[in-house]
This record gives sequence, C-alpha cells and structure tokens, in this order.
Amino acid sequence: MDTVDLARLQFALTAGAHFLFVALTLGLATLVAVVQTWATLTRDPVHLRMTRFWGQLYIINYAMGIATGLVMEFQLGLTWSGLTEFAGNTFGASLAIETLVAFFLESTFLGLWIFGWNKLNRWAHLAAIWVVTLTAYASAFWILVSNGFLQHPVGYELADGVLRLTDFGAMVANPTAQVAFFHVLGGAMVTGGFFVAGVSAYHLRRRTAEQDLFRKSLRIGIGVALPATLFTATFGGLGFETLQPTKAAVWSGSASRIAAAQAELAAAHGPGDYLPPAGWVHAGAMTMLIAFAVMFFFAGLSAVLMLIRPAVRSLRVWHWLLTLMIPVPFVAMLGGWVFREMGRQPWAVYGLLTTAEAMSPLTQTQMRVSLTAFVTVFAALIVTNYVLLARAARRGPDAVTLGDRPIDTPSTEPALSL
Amino acid sequence: MEIFVLAFFALGYLVLGGADIGVGMALPYLGRGAGERREVIAAIAPFFLGNEVWLVSAAGVLAGLFPELEGELLSGNVAVVVPLLLSWVVRDMGLWLRGRVPGVRWQGFWDGAIVAGSWGLALSWGVLLSDVLLGLHGPVALAPALLVAVVFGAHGLAFAALRLRGELRRRAAVLSGGSGEARTYALTAAALVVVGVLAGLRLPLTAGPTASLLTPVILVVTPLLVAAQAWVWWIFRHRVSGPSYL
Repeated sequence: MDTVDLARLQFALTAGAHFLFVALTLGLATLVAVVQTWATLTRDPVHLRMTRFWGQLYIINYAMGIATGLVMEFQLGLTWSGLTEFAGNTFGASLAIETLVAFFLESTFLGLWIFGWNKLNRWAHLAAIWVVTLTAYASAFWILVSNGFLQHPVGYELADGVLRLTDFGAMVANPTAQVAFFHVLGGAMVTGGFFVAGVSAYHLRRRTAEQDLFRKSLRIGIGVALPATLFTATFGGLGFETLQPTKAAVWSGSASRIAAAQAELAAAHGPGDYLPPAGWVHAGAMTMLIAFAVMFFFAGLSAVLMLIRPAVRSLRVWHWLLTLMIPVPFVAMLGGWVFREMGRQPWAVYGLLTTAEAMSPLTQTQMRVSLTAFVTVFAALIVTNYVLLARAARRGPDAVTLGDRPIDTPSTEPALSL
Repeated sequence: MEIFVLAFFALGYLVLGGADIGVGMALPYLGRGAGERREVIAAIAPFFLGNEVWLVSAAGVLAGLFPELEGELLSGNVAVVVPLLLSWVVRDMGLWLRGRVPGVRWQGFWDGAIVAGSWGLALSWGVLLSDVLLGLHGPVALAPALLVAVVFGAHGLAFAALRLRGELRRRAAVLSGGSGEARTYALTAAALVVVGVLAGLRLPLTAGPTASLLTPVILVVTPLLVAAQAWVWWIFRHRVSGPSYL
C-alpha cells in the first residue's frame, strides 16, 4: 500500500468505528430522554429504572464515541493537511460551529447529567439530557454540512489556488447535506430502536426479573424502529437523487453512462481515471438495501406481534430473532457509508481536489507507525467496550451504578487499601 | 480578534484540562489504594468532559479560522500529535472503564492507564510546546518537555488540594506550603498561561477569510458556553466527600 492508501485506511477505520458508536448514541439518547421525561412527569419507578438502565448502556457506548471522535477531528489536520489548506476556509466553518455550538455544550451537559444524578433538581436533570440530545443532533447536522460540501461543493469560489466561502446559506442548505442529515438521524433511531428491542427480548426470553420494564422497553424499541426504518428509507431514496454523476453512473451499471461521466470529467480535468471503485459502490449499496429489507420486514412483523400479549411474554423464537437483529442496523449504516464515501472517489472535494492531493506530506514510515498504533489501541478498546456493553445489558437494571445513590454520600464499599 | 478567540479556548484548555492531566499524573502519589484513588478521581470526574472539550473547540477554531496553520501544525508534528492523541484516548478510557468491573486487578490496570495517559499527555504537550517555543527537536527537547510536565503535575496537585479533604488534601497540598491552596492554583495556572501565550506568539497566526463570518458567531455563543460551564462549577463547588460514578 502506498502512503495515501494507508492514510485512507486509517481515516476509514476511525470514521467507521466512530460512526458505529455515534449511531447508537444518537438513537439511545433520544429514547433515554423520552423515558426520563415520562419518569419525571409521573414519578413512575419503572420508568426511573428504565432511564438508569438504558442511560448506563448509553454512557458505555458514548465514551467510545468520544474517543474515536477526538482522533477523527485531529486526523483532518494530521493526515489531510492538503484538504484543510485547500478547502478549510469552507467546510472548516461548519466544523468550527459544530465544536462550539454543539459539542461543547453536549460534553458539558453530559457531565452534568452523569455526575449530577440525585444532586440536581429533577427538572434541571431532565433538561440536561435534553440539551445533550439536541446538541447531539446539532453536532450531526454540522458534521454533515461539512461532509455535504466535500460530496457536492456549493457556495464557494476558487481564488489563488484555495477555496473561499461566498455563500454560507448555500453551504448549509446543500441538499446533499440536508438529505444525509435526516437519513443518518433516522438510521440512528433505527439502530437505537432495534438495540432496545433486542436487549429487552433477551431479558424476556431468559425470564429475568423486571419483566414489566422490559415489556415496556420492547414496545418502545419496536415502536421507534418501524417508523424510523420508513423515514430513513424515504430520505435514502431522496439521497439517490443527489448522487454525483460518477457515483450514479457506476451504481446504474450502464456502460454508456459510465463512459459519459468519465469523459466529462476527463474533459474538465485532463486524462485520468475519475470513476469510483465499482465493487465497493455496489457492495456498499447492496448491503444497505438488503439490510433495509430485512429490518423493514422484521420491524413490521414485530409491530404486530408486540400487540399480542402472550407473544410478548413467551414467543421465544421471536425474542431470539429480535436479539439477533441488533447488529443489522449497524451493518446497514456501514454499507450506506461505504457507498457514500467510496462512491465519491477519487475526489476528496468532488471535482476540485483529489484524495491524493489532499494528503499531508507524510512519509510511508510515519503513516505505518500511526496506523499500527491507532489500530492496536482502538481494536483493544472497542472489543473491551463492546464486551462491557453486552455484560451491562445482560446483567439488567439491578447492576446499574448510574444514579444509584446521591453523589456525595460516602461509599459503602470498603476502602481496599486499608 | 481571531487570535483572542483561539487563545481563549487554548488557554482555557491548558488551565482547566491541565488540572485533570496533573491529577492523573499524581494519582499514585495522592491515592495509595483503589478506594483512595477513586476518591481522588471524584475530584475531576464532573469536570473532565467539560474541560477536554476546550481543546476540541480550540481545534475547531483552528479548523475554521486558521485552516492553513491547522494542517501545518498537526501534520508537521505527527511524531508528537499521534502520541498525544493516543495518551488522551488511553487516559479517558481509564477513567471510564476503571469502575465498570469490580476487582482490584481490573481497577489497578485502568488506574495505570490513567497515570500513563496523563503523563503521556503532559509530555506530548511539553514536546509540542518546546518545539513551537524553542524550535527544539529530538532528545534535547525532552528537558523543556519534562519541565512543562512538572508544571502540569504541580497544577494538578494544586487543583486536588482545592477539591479533596483530610489526608488526601494534605498530600495534595505538599507544594503549597504556607502560601494557601487558592494562591498555589493561581500560580500554576498562570505558569501554564504564560507558556501557552509565549508559544502562541511564535505561531504564524493569520486568520483565513472565513473569520468575518465565524468570529461574530463565536463571540455570541461564547458567553453561553462559559455560563453553562460556570453552572457545572457551581453545582460541584464543594469538596469531594466520597467516590463519584467513575
């Protein structure tokens, strides 16, 4: 592999890992916020326990999302300085707004929500999770404005070899960004819905304690997953209208369209191969579409079954399948992401800057060391976090430490050192 | 104006996030057993997410207002930035994971990750700052880097002295002597600010053309961000009296 391939692999692995955690974060945050709202309004103990249980899983997942996100943010300057120098004046604006308007508040209020449990007034505590949820959406929005610009640049001018932003409104209103935002948000709700339903089904199948809590959770999960699947597919369909000519041509498979798209770019930019890798484009899209079909069918069936009380209580085959469905939205997410990002190759900024030109002047050795170090550390941490997530999900609400006591009371555990 | 925006977030990180780094470095000294260490971590627990985000924001400001410098600074210092990021990730993961499973060995391992990550962060910052400040590279840069790390450590102790009680507070106050805990914290914070400002003065800080759009937005939201953080500081203004969620 040459240096650019190593840098691409590093970014793809970081972004892909980040995307997996973020998708569940966005979906779960919404469900936790809604359940906590109900718990706060009614003071119902079951919903309070639901908030703590799903909140605990949310935090385990969130921590890994932050870690991968940090590395992603810095990787732009680290390995893609050609991109930041050429286009930083445009898509850098939305990145800056994302960190300041969204992520800054999200982090601050997440700390308040976690550590202020039983310390804050319950309405202030409820407000904290809503701020976290809404700023998470805002974060996704501004990131997709940046990504939308790279996919389909608008509102810029090219002067002295670098891009300048001329129309901020056009960049924000970019259909490639807007459609992707709602598509990703819907996908996150699908991920969160199937996760909640799958974990609940595990507990119902195993007949663990808290059957009432998990029956309620199961219905919430499926009740979210089915409409969210349709919502996501609708915006996914609209997304096909915003594809770049080369991606659309390769996806269509029509030899004449492919030749025309290639000829058009070759005429504008000189000789070269301007087509994305067809194998990746097709594999990504097909994975996404097949996963959608499976999820749609299964969510529809489950929405009927969840209305039948004996099925919710003891239809174990269905419980099994629901748990097995947990990874499917993640697979769909990655498939769609591969389709979107591989499909814009060989461009970093479509039609303006190639991925090879976007690369920092790094040596092969630097890239190898960096890639090896990040992959090793992240692989170990991701495995650890998924094992812990599964462990916390299996152990159920009784083992949750989040919000289990006022924060300032002395611990009842013995000080191990003494 | 743009320079002040960048300075505000970068220096905010050095002072606020610097205290978390220092507490992590001093963890084996402050907490002699798992229970004590958990209480020491409670000193920074409610703040560390809100503190590290100052650096995320500084990087965001760099991306939006100084994109050319962002690329040069990060890709030009790849040998420092990669260890810095890895240390950051390892430190954070140590904080999150230590309490997830009971058991002395599990907690000891992740406490080790917190200490190693914190030292890694402090030394990486030291190397990066001495490169920017003095233009030193290679092994010779380790001397000023170590000095910067010591300042981070002292700052962490000063912060811990303000947050802890009893024996832990006494240990943390080892550097204060008779000069008072708040005054020591102000002094170590000032030292970090001076290092940060001197390094900043050496950077080619020419804002890009997007500044005219972004700077007003940032100036409007910044008071809101500070108010949100001030609320957190107010909620957790009392000394730690027991372990936190972590």
